Amino acid sequence: MENILTLEKLNKFYDEDTHAINDVDLEVKEGDFLILLGLSGSGKSTLLRCINRLIEPTSGKIYFEGTNVCDLGGTPLRHARREIGMIFQQFNLIKNLTVLTNALSGRLGYFSTIKSLFPRLDNELVAQAKKNLKRVGLEEFANQKVKNLSGGQQQRVAIARVLMQNPKLILADEPVASLDPATADSVMRYLGNLNKNDNITIICSLHFLSLARKYGTRVVALKGGKLMFDGEPTEIDEQKFKDIYGQDAEEVDIK
Amino acid sequence: MKKQYNTLSLIKAFIIDLLIWLYLVGTGFYLLEQLNVVEYKFSYFLITSVVLGIITFVTQNSLGHKGFRSKKIKKRRWYKTLWGWEIFILIAITFVVGWDIVEVNPIKLIAKFKNSKVIISQLFNPNFDNLLKMLSALSETIYLALLATVFAIPLAFIFSFFAARNLMPKNLLGNTVYIIVRTVATIVRSIEALVWAIIFCVWVGIGPFAGMLALLFHSMAALTKLYSEQIENIDSGPIEAMKSTGANTLQVWIYAVIPQIISPYLAFTMYRWDINVRMATIVGFVGGGGIGLALKQEQQLLHWRNVGLIMWLIALVVWIMDMVSGKVREKLVKH
Ligand SMILES: Nc1ncnc2c1ncn2[C@@H]1O[C@H](COP(=O)(O)OP(=O)(O)O)[C@@H](O)[C@H]1O
Ligand SMILES: [Mg+2]
Repeated sequence: MENILTLEKLNKFYDEDTHAINDVDLEVKEGDFLILLGLSGSGKSTLLRCINRLIEPTSGKIYFEGTNVCDLGGTPLRHARREIGMIFQQFNLIKNLTVLTNALSGRLGYFSTIKSLFPRLDNELVAQAKKNLKRVGLEEFANQKVKNLSGGQQQRVAIARVLMQNPKLILADEPVASLDPATADSVMRYLGNLNKNDNITIICSLHFLSLARKYGTRVVALKGGKLMFDGEPTEIDEQKFKDIYGQDAEEVDIK
Repeated sequence: MKKQYNTLSLIKAFIIDLLIWLYLVGTGFYLLEQLNVVEYKFSYFLITSVVLGIITFVTQNSLGHKGFRSKKIKKRRWYKTLWGWEIFILIAITFVVGWDIVEVNPIKLIAKFKNSKVIISQLFNPNFDNLLKMLSALSETIYLALLATVFAIPLAFIFSFFAARNLMPKNLLGNTVYIIVRTVATIVRSIEALVWAIIFCVWVGIGPFAGMLALLFHSMAALTKLYSEQIENIDSGPIEAMKSTGANTLQVWIYAVIPQIISPYLAFTMYRWDINVRMATIVGFVGGGGIGLALKQEQQLLHWRNVGLIMWLIALVVWIMDMVSGKVREKLVKH
């Protein structure tokens, strides 16, 4: 299968001493559910944000569907971002707007600035947003303010928002780290569903090996900004786990 | 360890010590001269200050050392330290000199009360015959404050985006725009509305329009600062999220910034209107129209009962504004 994403010798220095990403080479195949493991500070967030250029990489190449996104700027960059959805640990919704408006905001990249003032005038779009909200089980919440929703519900709104983009790739930065275990699994299930049914490639950073094994098709691990493991989820045994997380780490299981 | 001895902090400490002694010796000379003890000579003053500055500095126990190299100095009771005495003398001498310069005279305050007795009794006996005239002047003031605030809002709203560090890109253009908007706002704000009123009275002539412009300028700059600080405090998460959908800068502002700032903006604006109503009276005093102008005229004519009426009307409006804006802000903050 095609590579949807290829990283070549990617480096990110925040300053002289902080080498957050160190010569990372990575190929992601279309349809992969790639799990990104690593301790806090190992560079997971930085790596994900380099891919859609929320953070400027210092050097290296990032090919998304054949084009190097590092060469893009202005409109072409925004058009590339439309195809790369992002999910965040803190959900990053606009809390005092409604669920529906938040879902619609995922479509901004396709709007003119004028149209973005009145997205609800487009009935077709509103229907699509409602369909996506239904998909994550939130159709009754459409007109509620986001701040009244629970964490798990908010993350599902974020998934509905990302769906509005029609993304080919989703970057998920610790999407379940602020959720309780049961909710975490349900959010991962929605992501797994997008991966299987909509053939959306997903790169997802996680801390739970059990979830990685359950949903991941492939696992890579970062340590101090370097890629130090690349393989099947089942390949991670106790020794590998200790290599990634340090000798004192114990695996915590969540079901 | 090394950092404590670095030259920069030594220089800073020395400058502080020097400035302290320039001040102490200067005020000391002033007092001695008032008492006709010595004759002031600039060279004496300079030499004494520098010598004392150097002496205290080399003891390593002076206020300058305390300020910039504090880790080196042991904890002791203040009266056992040089810097403690320096602070003590500083406060004492400032108080004494201040008393002299301001010509504080408590005896006058009590003994000459009768001078104002007539006026005060008239102030408490306002002349309601002029009520209609004064009410119309008062409404001029309120409208003036209202328009100044209303015009200032959209301007400050727009400027605030360019004065917010987190929204301006960290390149040459972004930095330049940010610095220019910030600097202009700071300068305009630090010039009192009173001074703007004087300028505009010359520019467009005495009257409420000049007062309105003065308040408009000052409010615009003040609101730009308050608004932009609000923007700098917003959660950056939604900004990232909107950028990642491929939204353009304006769309990011509309979706990720404005919803987060709208209710604090309203609260600030309400507060500003409150301030503007008070300030409108004061700018009126120098020619900005409204009740302030009336106040000045009546005061110059020594019509104290009319002044009394104005005073009570202003107090009433300020009291009402205080209550209303307090209530509204409370609602907005809770929201
Ligand atoms: N904005 C920043 N400025 C400077 N250093 C940063 C910044 N963001 C992250 N870092 C540093 O880069 C490294 C990687 O951080 P991050 O990508 O957030 O790791 P992770 O997401 O795996 O916890 C850490 O050492 C962190 O301190
Ligand atoms: Mg992170």
